[in-house]
Formats: sequence, structure tokens, C-alpha cells
Amino acid sequence: MDEDKAAKMQAQLRAMREVYASQLPGKIRQIEEAWAGLQSEWNDETFQTLHRMVHSLTGSGATFGFTLLSEAARALEILVKGLLAEGKIPLSSSHRDEVSVYLKALGDASKNADDKEPAKQPTAPITPHCDANNRLIFLVDDDVALAENFGLQISYFGYTIQTFSTLGEAFRAIIQTPPAALVLDIDFPEDSLGGFNLLEQINREIGYVLPTLFISAHGELEFRLKAVRTGGCAYFSKPLDVSALIDKLEEVTSCKREEPYRILIVDDSRALAEYYATILNGAGMETQTVIEPLALMEPLLEFMPDLILMDVYMPECSGLELAKVIRQQERFVSIPIVFLSAETDMEKQLDAMSLGGDDFLTKPIRPEHLVSSITARVRRSRVLRSFMVRDSLTGLLNHTTIKAQLDVQLARVKRLGGKLAFAMLDIDHFKSVNDTYGHPTGDRVIRSLSRLLQQRLRTSDVVGRYGGEEFAVIFNDTDGATAVKVLDEIRHDFGLIRHRHEKGEFSVTISAGVSGFPAIDDPAVMNEAADKALYEAKHGGRNRVVLFSPFAA
Amino acid sequence: MVELNRILYVEDEPDIRAVAKLALEMVGGFTLEVCSSGQEALDKALGFAPQLILLDVMMPGMDGPATLAALRELPELAAVPVIFMTAKVQPGEVAHYKELGAVDVIPKPFDPMTLSDALRKIWERCHG
Repeated sequence: MDEDKAAKMQAQLRAMREVYASQLPGKIRQIEEAWAGLQSEWNDETFQTLHRMVHSLTGSGATFGFTLLSEAARALEILVKGLLAEGKIPLSSSHRDEVSVYLKALGDASKNADDKEPAKQPTAPITPHCDANNRLIFLVDDDVALAENFGLQISYFGYTIQTFSTLGEAFRAIIQTPPAALVLDIDFPEDSLGGFNLLEQINREIGYVLPTLFISAHGELEFRLKAVRTGGCAYFSKPLDVSALIDKLEEVTSCKREEPYRILIVDDSRALAEYYATILNGAGMETQTVIEPLALMEPLLEFMPDLILMDVYMPECSGLELAKVIRQQERFVSIPIVFLSAETDMEKQLDAMSLGGDDFLTKPIRPEHLVSSITARVRRSRVLRSFMVRDSLTGLLNHTTIKAQLDVQLARVKRLGGKLAFAMLDIDHFKSVNDTYGHPTGDRVIRSLSRLLQQRLRTSDVVGRYGGEEFAVIFNDTDGATAVKVLDEIRHDFGLIRHRHEKGEFSVTISAGVSGFPAIDDPAVMNEAADKALYEAKHGGRNRVVLFSPFAA
Repeated sequence: MVELNRILYVEDEPDIRAVAKLALEMVGGFTLEVCSSGQEALDKALGFAPQLILLDVMMPGMDGPATLAALRELPELAAVPVIFMTAKVQPGEVAHYKELGAVDVIPKPFDPMTLSDALRKIWERCHG
């Protein structure tokens, strides 16, 4: 279409939009009048006409640029259509209240009809440049000796490192293959603020902020501020604390793909339940809908939702009662329950909370609000849950959880056949690390072992912190001898890691004991056997991995 | 493949009718016969001999599916593809309309600037 024609078209569209806007109040009034008429005398046909009038707004609003109006009409239409389909006419008083609320929202949307807001489809947050398999780190520093030593240290943690000593060289390489993260010095012979300038250039070129850790001999606030402004994630002053730096690298490069949120929707109106499901699916969540409130228990157990989204008013039993029933079972004490209701009465909302609801969303709700409130709830609840099953220092599974995991995994291989190994690990002479360098340094050593284990083992292996300086690993589909081999490599590399302290650098060794299925098929015995083998490793001079043998002395 | 030109368009709502007419004639360059009810469509269909029929679903009196069924009684139009237009509110609706014999469903609200392209794509698919 040529420009002239396009302009003419736009002008005509504008004119039509104005006509539409001027007729809108009349259309809304018609709907309201029909509804008022139904209150005094019910008539099925009038209700169907009302449905048709609302439907037409759903379909026309956004064509003329009234997105909010279309949305509000759609919400009302879904409700009305559902009621019609389920033969709920003439409407009960609670259904009438619900329709009234949605109708009011439609009226409000038509009054704010001048919105120019473009149609938005709520989407899940995405991090387009996050690739968990990218372990490539670029180090840009003109100090070649430092670069070499540092490169060696972080390579133990499964990173691939490339070092560059000039800015130009680094720039070209980064543009070609952006690394997962950049470790960047600030001061270069050719440019005393060269690091900052390089990063600005790179970010402009690649179109996103490359995760960058600055390292510098300068500790002044002025420099730190500049680092923040250019988009740096962290700032380390030299001499470098390698383990702190690796901690940070781990943080900025890790992008463990989070499992989709699982939401259980409980609403007696199938149409509304499906509507919410569609919105949440669109944001990348998994949903299951329950139309019969009394049939809730089975999906609750099987689907294991992160959150329950529940209508308050339902026949048979109310959402509030149902929440109380759910809460009475210990395993569901902490699952978030969010109520959806047309209820705006604060007192009734508080009532709902006291019965076990966590949140109250007022219907009708805009799709993006629904997505964001649910996202916030689930995220928090997942963090809280992780406190219960994970060790706070390392983020590994805690003692109780890894023991429970051993029970589960062993039961599985016993049923399905296969191999399984269990290992106990312990840091040698850890007490003397704590005594010599202090507990904060000891904690860092523990964290570095935990990181090494997580990086070097497969995702199917289960790693836990057993307590103190003791760790446990469940190797799936692996026999004892193979587990010993894998652990021995880790033991060797861990011994090469230099831990830093102001009193000087030091290194630490580990010992481990391994037991395996099918030689042993009871979790308690398996645990005991690994412990015995660990004792043997310690007794035999430490810094070694021992496979349990029933014939050993 | 024959190029798409003649479209029979049925819609009861005057403002939607106006936008769609603009979109199809001005942007798309199609020849249009516009009807405001299913009955009118039945009266005009044979005389106009459309290549494609665009049908609103929810109309008073004879609705979209009823109009489709009545059109299908006319042997001259048996091979003319019919597209429904409707505000889609639930998943599964599109499949339902296709079962009724529509080749596709154009969701409302539609964008007047791209409506013609959407029709052409469906047309190409029908004759592909």
C-alpha cells in the first residue's frame, strides 16, 4: 500500500474510532438496562441478548484501540457464557452479585476508554543470553603472571578460561564469541580507565549487559561507583581473593533453568477455570483445574502444586472451608493458597486469611496482575521451601533430606534394577583450618568443596552436606568402583586449589569412603559401610578414597 | 492458483462491518458483498458467486453456524471455503468451529491492517 493510501486509511480508521467511542456509553447503558430489567423480572432471552451485547464489545473494543474494554468485556462474557452453558439460569443471588461486579468493571473500563495501551500478553521473564553450558570466562589483565595463576585456579571449577592482555584483542574476541562472564582489569598501560571504556563499547555492540567482574588495584569509592554505572556485577580489589571471585562467577553464570510453576486452579465454573489456566499457561506455568471442589485431594497429591488458586464461592463447600481442610494436613501446611473472589469487603478478606488463605485477589483481575501476583507468591514460597531442605552455607541438600533421598533412590533401584553408590566425604584436618585461619575461612573452604562437587558430578547425582565438614553423595546408575574413580579425580583437584588468607595461602585435602548396591541393599547398612570406608581412608593416612569391603580389617 | 478477489462478508454489527469493509477493500483490494444478516447472505450468495465467505459467529436470528449450514444446502456453493470470525474466549473453540465445516477462524478483535493478509494466507492454504 502506498503512503498516500495508508494515510487515508489511518484517517478513516481514526474517524471510525471516534464514532465508536461516541456510541460506547449508549452500548454500555443498553447492557446495564438489560441487567437491571433481569433483576426485576428474569427472562432467559434477555440474558442471552445481554451475552450477545457483551460478546460484541469483546470482539470490537480492541479493533478500535480500546484494549481494556475488550479485556473487561471478555471477563464478563466468560462468566455469562459459563453460567449459560451450565444451565445456571435463572441466576442465584451469589451469581448475580458476581455478574454485577464484572459489569461494573466493564462500565469503569468504558469510562477510561481513551486508553492507548497496546495489547499485552503477559509473558514469563526470560534471560535470553543465559546458557548453562557456557562455562567460558574471559580474563582481561595486562598482568600476565596474575592471569595465569588465576586461570589455573578457576579451571578446577569446570570453567574454560581465555586470557587477553590488551583491550583491542579482548574486544575482537568478545564480539566474535561472547563468554558467559568477563573478568576485567580497569587500569591498562594504553588507557587508565580502559576496563570501563571496553565494557561500555562491548555492551553497545552486543546489545545486552555482559556479566562482568571488575578487578582493580584501586579501592576508592569513585571507581566502585563507576563500575556499577557501566554495569559491572562486582568489584574486587587486588590482591585477589580467588574463592570470593569464584563465588561471584558462579552466581552470575549460573542460570539453572527453574522448573515451571505448578498451579492448581479450583473454581466451580469450568469456563473461568480454563480462562485462568490459559492466562497462566501463557506465562509458562503448568496448571491443573478442579471443577468439583470435593474432588480436590487426588490432584493435590499427584500434581503437587506450588500454589492453589481458589474461588471463594462454590457450591457444596466454600473455598474458605476447603482451605482449612487442606491446612489440616501436615504436608500442605506451607502451600500458598490464593483466593479469587469478587469480595471487596476487607473484613471478609481478613476472615479468609485467618482460615488459611495467603492472599486475596479481587475479581475481575487483569491477566498481567494475575500472573505477577502468582509469580511473586510462588517464588517466595520456593525460597522458603529450600530453607527447609537445603543447607544454608552451601545450598546442598541437608542431612535429613539426603538421607531420605538415599531411601527413595535405593528403593527405586531395588525395584527396577540397576546400580547405585553412596559416598561419605570429609575434609582432612579441618579443625586446624578453623583454628589457624578462623571460621569464615573454614566456611569458604567448605563452600569451595561444595562447588567443586556440584560442578564435577552429574545432575543425576545427589549431593548433600551431612554436617560440619562432612558431605554425602548418591551416585545414580554407578557402581562403587566407578564412584571411587570419579571421587578420586575430585580429591586430586581439590588438593590443588589454593585457599587464600592474609596469613598466606594454603591447601586442603579430603578423604572419602564409598559403598555400593547391589553388594548392600539397605540404606542404613549402606550409610554405615560408607562411614566405615571413610574411617579406613582416614586411618590409612587421609587424602584418599576407599571402597567398602566386608573383608577389610 | 486463482487469485482471491470476491468475498461475501456477513456481520450484523455496523461498526465492525465498516472497519472490515475498509480493511478488505482498501488494504486488500478485494471485491466485497456485505450482508448484515444470515438471511441476507442466503439471498445474495448465488447472485454474487463468492470465492470465499467470511461469517460472523454470533448474530441475532440466524447465527454463523446456522448460516453456514443453510449455505451448504446450495450445491453451487458447496466448494466455497467459509471462515468464521469471532471473539475467541476459550481454548477449544477454534476446533469446534472447524468441526462445523469452517476452514479457519479469524479472532476478533482483528487488526484492520493485517486482516487481508490473514485471509490470503488461509486462501493459499486451501488451494495449496
